[in-house]
Amino acid sequence: MEFFKSIPTHIDYVGQAKAEKLYRAIITLFSIVGFIWGYIVQQFSQSVYILGAGFILASILTVPPWPMYRRNPLNWQNPRNTEEKPSGKKGKK
Amino acid sequence: MYSVLTRGNGILTYTLSVLACLTFLCFLSTLTVDYRTAAQMNTVKVVVKNIADYGVSREKNDLGYLTFDLKTDLSSLFNWNVKQLFLYLTAEYITPANELNQVVLWDKIILRGENAILDFKNMNIKYYFWDDGNGLKGHNNVTLTLSWNIIPNAGLLPNIGAIGQHSFKFPTDYTQTRV
Repeated sequence: MEFFKSIPTHIDYVGQAKAEKLYRAIITLFSIVGFIWGYIVQQFSQSVYILGAGFILASILTVPPWPMYRRNPLNWQNPRNTEEKPSGKKGKK
Repeated sequence: MYSVLTRGNGILTYTLSVLACLTFLCFLSTLTVDYRTAAQMNTVKVVVKNIADYGVSREKNDLGYLTFDLKTDLSSLFNWNVKQLFLYLTAEYITPANELNQVVLWDKIILRGENAILDFKNMNIKYYFWDDGNGLKGHNNVTLTLSWNIIPNAGLLPNIGAIGQHSFKFPTDYTQTRV
């Protein structure tokens, strides 16, 4: 169980933008190629199959949280020392 | 795009939108195609009988019967947006009772990939050629026309008439025997 929890599943903000751009590009490219090829061979089913191949490729490349979408982690501020009481709350007693 | 499900959802919806666009483009790409082509037809045997269609009434009406030849090449009509053709042969005539009579005598479905070069000899009609009265006996100008309905992947369902028709006469006597 600890092993599964140790697998990172998040992707960072830059990675999210990258994933969306990537799948749009792949599917659009495959649809254009599929349309042209389907028109050449005069079979619309070929266009649909090529678009389906693009869908599968885009799914493989962008649905799982691959490490390449995790290269720009946020620079969190260092945690404050919680032992030290904040100055505004001195008279809390 | 923060989780597997949102990315999967995005990809699927985008793919389906693109597919809808492709289908529409496919329709647009065949919008200006001219689907008319020539067909030769001819009647071989033409008879007319006077019998009762008991499904309708006991009155006797004219029933025409004919065999025909049909020769046409429809292979040029098929493209990536035509799934099948529905051919139908129509008889058209004028009677005193009706300004326009149209009777479908025969039809045929041709799927894409099937043989579309037709050369039929002495074909029987498939459907009864009933007149709603006695307008067929001795009628001297009945016109046969061939039409087709194009069934596309996407888009319009046009009815196209073939170039070419054939006019024929019915005999002036009823046939009493079986044909």
